[in-house]
Amino acid sequence: MSNLNETDIQGFVLRGYNMPFARYLFLHFEDAARAATFVHRLMGEVTTGQRWDSGKPQSTVNIAFTHRGLVALNLPDATLLSFPVEFQQGMKKRAEILGDTGRNAPDQWDELWREDNVHAWLGVNASSPEALNARCADMLTIMRETNGAILLAAQDAAALVFDGIPTTKEHFGYTDGFGNPDYLGVERSVQPGQGKLMPNGTWAPLATGELLLGYADEAGELPVAPVPHILASNGTFMVYRKLHQNLATFRTYLDEHAPFYSGGKEKLASKFIGRWRDGTPIELSPDHPDQSITQDPNRSTNFTFSADPVGTRCPVGAHVRRVNPRDAFGFDGKLINRRRITRRGLPYGTPVPEGEPASDTDERGVIFIALNANLSRQFEFVQQQWINYGNDSRLGNEKDMLLGNHTGQGRFVVQGDTAGTNPPFVCSNLPNFVELRGGDYFFLPSITALGMIGMGLVDPR
Amino acid sequence: MSNINGKVYAMNVVTPMKPWKTWLLRALFFALWHIKPLQQDLINLSFIEFARWVIIPRRRFPFLAHGQAEEDLQYDYLLFFSNFNGTWNQYIDAFSSVLSRGLNLIWRWSEKFPGSVPITPFKEYIAQVQFDTDYYYTAYPYATANDLKAAHIVQASLDQLAQQANTANPQQFADAYLHFMLQVQAHLGNTGEAPLVS
Amino acid sequence: MPNQNGKVYGLTILSPIIDDETAIPSHDLQIRNYLAKLPTDERSPFALAPATHLTRLVVMDDVIYVGMPACEEHLKSKYLIWESNCDGNLNTYLTGLAASIPEHLDAIWSHCVGYPGASNLQAFIDYMKACQLETTFFFAAVNDKSVTETLRALQTQRAVSDFIANHQGMDPARLQSDFNQFLTELNAKPTPRAGILTPYRDIKTGGRNE
Repeated sequence: MSNLNETDIQGFVLRGYNMPFARYLFLHFEDAARAATFVHRLMGEVTTGQRWDSGKPQSTVNIAFTHRGLVALNLPDATLLSFPVEFQQGMKKRAEILGDTGRNAPDQWDELWREDNVHAWLGVNASSPEALNARCADMLTIMRETNGAILLAAQDAAALVFDGIPTTKEHFGYTDGFGNPDYLGVERSVQPGQGKLMPNGTWAPLATGELLLGYADEAGELPVAPVPHILASNGTFMVYRKLHQNLATFRTYLDEHAPFYSGGKEKLASKFIGRWRDGTPIELSPDHPDQSITQDPNRSTNFTFSADPVGTRCPVGAHVRRVNPRDAFGFDGKLINRRRITRRGLPYGTPVPEGEPASDTDERGVIFIALNANLSRQFEFVQQQWINYGNDSRLGNEKDMLLGNHTGQGRFVVQGDTAGTNPPFVCSNLPNFVELRGGDYFFLPSITALGMIGMGLVDPR
Repeated sequence: MSNINGKVYAMNVVTPMKPWKTWLLRALFFALWHIKPLQQDLINLSFIEFARWVIIPRRRFPFLAHGQAEEDLQYDYLLFFSNFNGTWNQYIDAFSSVLSRGLNLIWRWSEKFPGSVPITPFKEYIAQVQFDTDYYYTAYPYATANDLKAAHIVQASLDQLAQQANTANPQQFADAYLHFMLQVQAHLGNTGEAPLVS
Repeated sequence: MPNQNGKVYGLTILSPIIDDETAIPSHDLQIRNYLAKLPTDERSPFALAPATHLTRLVVMDDVIYVGMPACEEHLKSKYLIWESNCDGNLNTYLTGLAASIPEHLDAIWSHCVGYPGASNLQAFIDYMKACQLETTFFFAAVNDKSVTETLRALQTQRAVSDFIANHQGMDPARLQSDFNQFLTELNAKPTPRAGILTPYRDIKTGGRNE
């Protein structure tokens, strides 16, 4: 396989920047020529995948487009029609397929997402609020000077600070950020448990084409991509979902059920996700958290489920087991390799320490951002078949405990054994702990592709 | 869509085979039937409720006279009928990634079969040789193969527990009940509608 | 026996459809129209008749030309394919259908060459045998449970799931007496109707239970 040209790939794809502040700007284009000029002006600003050998920058900029954004940029019809169907339709039209019904349905979304005006996502990440504001001001200046884009809305997101310390936790208190896949050629320290499982039990990186267009994927071919090749190559597709968290509902549910669970409240909470709230995987340490595992990259994601087929350590329906079954379906985990996604989001809203009153109506939650080469085969499949449905885990129609669209029904079974502190336990009448407030599908082009778009040079053949 | 009823999809496929190749396929199926471990992968994939292959030799299309024209064909035909859970894409993706050798052994005798890996030409071939169902009935539309197996486990465990329900004292029963829960705890998923496909 | 897998029988029938240019609409279209209007849920004839797990009816217009270098050829007749996965064997299954849904069988197969009607049982069975194809390989995920056993097991699974959820932490004596009552009620419930699309609820009146 070829070496990756990191200067041609947007940095957001290759790296989690580890910057605790972000602002996502949503743009609208009114005129194709001026919009192209705007994109052209951005070329000097967009952060590439180049390594930060001379020090980390204070802020980064990346850009992605919805299909209607590419239409507004006047790309040729043949190119526009060659994009995968689900990207052309956009996430709103796919709502029923994704199980985004009831309170997650588009008519309940924020106004920004109910309308069909979002053409581009401009993502600014920064190490400090000052750097964030300064960089965003720069962006607005470029927009004004080129008259190329209108700002529809901005979404702030930031790492949550508990007890004065920035964390990687989300609002329910779970430590997040584990388990992004390793891909061949994407330079990162390879971590056991993050790639694909090999027959001899070791872990190998996934094919590059599971993340980036233009490279071989796990099925031995180039992933479906738009034409021309040069527009698609080194690009990827991005899913953006604003997931509101009903913090009061979650805390109440846990508090009401914990007294009946002899393992205790923290253990019950760990069973929902598959990790203790400090991040320890319960498959490795089912009885208590263990920071020695969590802090060790060689161990924190290094586990499989074949020794736990019934789910007595990690419940069959727990979140980490649902979204990455590893070897739980047999066949050395081969059925999983084309269903992985890379996550890049951050929480939004003010955190509430444990014990202080919280409300469901406050604006808080997680901005869920996922990157994958193929929306329908990767993100949509996981959302439809593994989050809002349970057949592959042999759980019938049961949904993911925290993310599922339960509407007051459904069950989550904690499988147990005869040990007094690990009983079988059923959680019923599940409310919606998380609600969808909007989002869409975006195409995140390579630097070359951005250049072509900026100069109006896209030619399908 | 008449190919789908509840959680199960009816796929029909017809492919032509040169008659001398048909015997090879028959031998393969014979081996598959009698050597049970070869079927294990199919069982473990666990999303097929029923499936069958039917070889129609070119001179054995049913002929009832009464004015029916007799067939005069060069090829034998392989019919394939599957009743599977999940989406069309999921089904073919799964077979291609874990059972590609088995698929190749069955379909390589069919004209213009491209092989089951890579996936895109394989899916194009299936789309070309698949024809649609006019009427599809299932006695249990909301149950997948996994749901059926789970239900039978629960029924068997309940029958066992029932034997002790009257004779045991409460403490013995409580122990038996815990044992029962451990047997069924991974098999309790409720059944209902299938996810929407399109 | 390739047609049999455990307790399940794989019936594959290929019936030539009458080719009559004077029929308007043509016989294959008449079959299609009839099938399009036939219910596929608990009102399906196959739900009202016994022993059918899964079945399909497909009008096969022709074989499919896969492209050069394969030769192009065509069937001289259209065929009605009937694939059924059922309990019992050929004779018991067909007898059961002819007894309970003869009018539907006639409505569909009267468009097929040489069909004698369901009223003459032996002729009906002979006709089907003449049209039967031998299943070369038959796979079944569950091959040892009848339709009735399956429907009862699904009902049991749902009831047990509810019982376990509602009896967490209960004291042993009360648990036992509740359980005995639960068993009695569950065993007294009728077998759920085949083909039903909504989650099972108690049927008070009407319909033939299987």
